[in-house]
Amino acid sequence: MAEGEDRALGELYDRYGKTVYALALAIVREPADAEEVVVDAFGQAWRQAGSFDPARGSVGAWIATIARSRALDLIRARGRRTRAYERAAHLSDDGVATPIAPGGTDPGRRVETSEARQLVTRALAALPEPQRVAIELAYFEGLSQSEIAERLAEPLGTIKTRIRAGMEKLRGQLTPLLEGAS
Amino acid sequence: MNDHEWRDYAAPYALGALAPDERGAFESHLAGCEACRAEVRSFTDVAGLLAHGVPAAEPPPALRQRVLAEAQRVRPIAARRRGASSAWLAAAAALLLAAGASVYAWRLSSRVTVLQTRLAQADSQATVSDSIIRLLTGPQVHVVSLASTGREPSARVFWNHTVRKFIVLAYDLPAAPPGRAYQLWAIANGKAPMSMGVFNTDAQGRATLVLPVDQAISALEFIDNCGLTEEPAGGSPQPTETPRLLGAWRHTD
Repeated sequence: MAEGEDRALGELYDRYGKTVYALALAIVREPADAEEVVVDAFGQAWRQAGSFDPARGSVGAWIATIARSRALDLIRARGRRTRAYERAAHLSDDGVATPIAPGGTDPGRRVETSEARQLVTRALAALPEPQRVAIELAYFEGLSQSEIAERLAEPLGTIKTRIRAGMEKLRGQLTPLLEGAS
Repeated sequence: MNDHEWRDYAAPYALGALAPDERGAFESHLAGCEACRAEVRSFTDVAGLLAHGVPAAEPPPALRQRVLAEAQRVRPIAARRRGASSAWLAAAAALLLAAGASVYAWRLSSRVTVLQTRLAQADSQATVSDSIIRLLTGPQVHVVSLASTGREPSARVFWNHTVRKFIVLAYDLPAAPPGRAYQLWAIANGKAPMSMGVFNTDAQGRATLVLPVDQAISALEFIDNCGLTEEPAGGSPQPTETPRLLGAWRHTD
């Protein structure tokens, strides 16, 4: 690889690697699997760099989307059907993410990331638990609304309402980040 | 299904939680509905932020090198040939530029907000200055310079009879303490002083303000003197101290 490309990808990794790894780990749960996902996701992003369209979102969001989809592929491929139950149980035990000060070398970026983490964590924690669980099952487990209804033994209409209402609330709470993004 | 009902699909669509047949139908609808496309974009951004809602985790340091090595391996075949790497480099550069640009744009937008605020302040100051210039350049304007016995402080009051305004300019007049203010008095010989208005100076001891001319003062048409006293914040009906600043009115023209 040419030295310039090496440095470019290195910067990309330094900027987004930590977020992508944390996301992958939250979905696949095993550190070794999370590393696979990160390597695959950056590889795919790098391979498809030419198709990236800044008008459709930030680079960070794009790489996170790729990573999430690779992570979901992985857990589906391994047939971890019990994962949803575990996660639902885990969520009702101790709620969502606990913010931990992220590391990194760029103080400005650290502040931005940490602000995003705090805002998102707070916004999720502020949701009524049934709404949060439904959204997290969709996002982190890749379940469809009918699958969520089945897992939680709730009517499909109830799940649809929860997801819609929860996403509306998140959008309201995350407005500062949405304006600063992309 | 009406458009309003379709819009309910945007949030689950952004989460990837629609059943395949629902997704297909919604995508057909999206092709012709800008409102729903906007809704999808908005919820896709929200869904993208959920990536930040997970517990922080430190990747092992060796992962960086694995990512770089894998990127080298997956590099498109065409780009590996000698002389064919320019497209690849362009793509890589575009991606990195976009990454940098999003941070840059974020900083730029903060900067724009600051500048817009300053511009609005400057605009409002300019508006005040413009209106004061207009008030001072009228045909029927009287002026009084108020001075203390020492060198400072001083004040100047213009009376624009046409629009019935006093324009007050004060210099090096220390701001009156909390609960107190300065009051200007129109003093016509043989009459009790009449209040022209109450004001205070800023931290630099300056004030520039426009006061409406009271009907009773306006009726006098000419006043002999102008005085300034310090009074309780709301002003007093009559001065409670000897004027600190005093001057005689004269015509500007």
